[in-house]
Amino acid sequence: MAWSKGLKNFIFSLLPPAFWLGAWQLVALLVDHSVNGRGNELLLPYPATVLTALVRLAGAAPFWGTVASSLGRILAGMIVGTLAGAVLAVLTCAFRLCDRLLSPAIRVIRATPVASFILLILLWTDRNFVPAIIAGLMVLPVVWANLARGIRETDPQLLEFSRAYRFSPPKTVKLIYLPSLRPYFLSAVTTAMGLAWKSGVAAEVLCIPKEAIGTQIYNSKLYLEIPDLFAWTAVVVALSLILERLIRVVLDRWKGGWTL
Amino acid sequence: MISVEHLDLSFGDKQIFKDFSLTLPDYGVTALRGPSGCGKTTLLRVLAGLTCPQSGRVVGIRPQNTAFLFQENRLLPWRTVEQHLTDVLPRDRRNEAPRWLALAELTGEEKSYPAALSGGMGRRLALARCLALGGRPYLLDEPFAGVDPARAGRILAGLKTLDAPVLLVSHEEYILSQADRIIDLDGPPLRVL
Repeated sequence: MAWSKGLKNFIFSLLPPAFWLGAWQLVALLVDHSVNGRGNELLLPYPATVLTALVRLAGAAPFWGTVASSLGRILAGMIVGTLAGAVLAVLTCAFRLCDRLLSPAIRVIRATPVASFILLILLWTDRNFVPAIIAGLMVLPVVWANLARGIRETDPQLLEFSRAYRFSPPKTVKLIYLPSLRPYFLSAVTTAMGLAWKSGVAAEVLCIPKEAIGTQIYNSKLYLEIPDLFAWTAVVVALSLILERLIRVVLDRWKGGWTL
Repeated sequence: MISVEHLDLSFGDKQIFKDFSLTLPDYGVTALRGPSGCGKTTLLRVLAGLTCPQSGRVVGIRPQNTAFLFQENRLLPWRTVEQHLTDVLPRDRRNEAPRWLALAELTGEEKSYPAALSGGMGRRLALARCLALGGRPYLLDEPFAGVDPARAGRILAGLKTLDAPVLLVSHEEYILSQADRIIDLDGPPLRVL
């Protein structure tokens, strides 16, 4: 019974991707038909063509180095942006002056077009650092806004309980604030993860660092290797989804808080 | 003796205390009885130092030594029953957790989370946690709400063996009948009948 339920769940989980792959195949077929088989690969390649390109790229030695470099940059930006966002959220909630100073600045960061930041930071620093800085800058406001809201919405009855039961400030943070913030943090990092990849790869496309997925995407566009462009995009999507899944697993384990 | 002297407190237009004074014994179980909204909970909160009166003073009690049971359970959904107790016990007294669980008749539920407990069990857990914290006096706001009478009677008997004064608010006659003394209140503003 258990295995048949598991099989059923597995089949149901495959249905949405199968549907969208089918839709992609159908549209590619229509494009191919409309251009009479002359250059549909430039407009919309078939899923199988993209898969072939992906297998070819993955078989080449530079592929994994390129993936690791981009992953390192985006993760570094993500971690620094998350930490900075968390610290600023605490300061914003703890001190009214910090709130007044930081809130407008972070809102300006959030509203500024990412392309402006990329070009400005490219002027100020080494091109290899730009994607990480951009990823961090995109993550920071999301984490800040979510965590600041979470801190403000922490159940006042539980906070009063912690005072009445003489919890030390670190104990209050560990037993009340951190578990209360978990859903806000999860929401922030899953949203931020997508943003970090989008903005980080966009920065790589504009800055063309030595080993980067964005550089490969830029080259694919330059040499009209559209299946390669799709394949690199698929790599970014896969990495983003895998990291999001990992974060969810880690946060699920953290659900119970800590034993002091 | 514990005494409150000339308390004044209002929330907006509602006056809770108006030159209210009361002396309470610092031994045994004292029950406060009165209609809902008369100010009993606020009196307990003032004694626990959680609410500051606009004027007046409390004598014979140190808020940092009290153990206060809130009217709501205020359990932590992410902590187990056992952790609720070890969280409030000092490191060298953590082995006392089974004793308080036994008093609240929660033995066997150590690994359960609050969501898995019934209303009465949740109330008993909140009470066990308050008792584990330890205090002089224990200030208990409706400690047996949702607890069946027989069990509440047994737990109250256990409470009476503690070497600390207990001040509780209750509406249940079977609880009041077991208290060492009852103080009848009315209000607002709060007054002793």
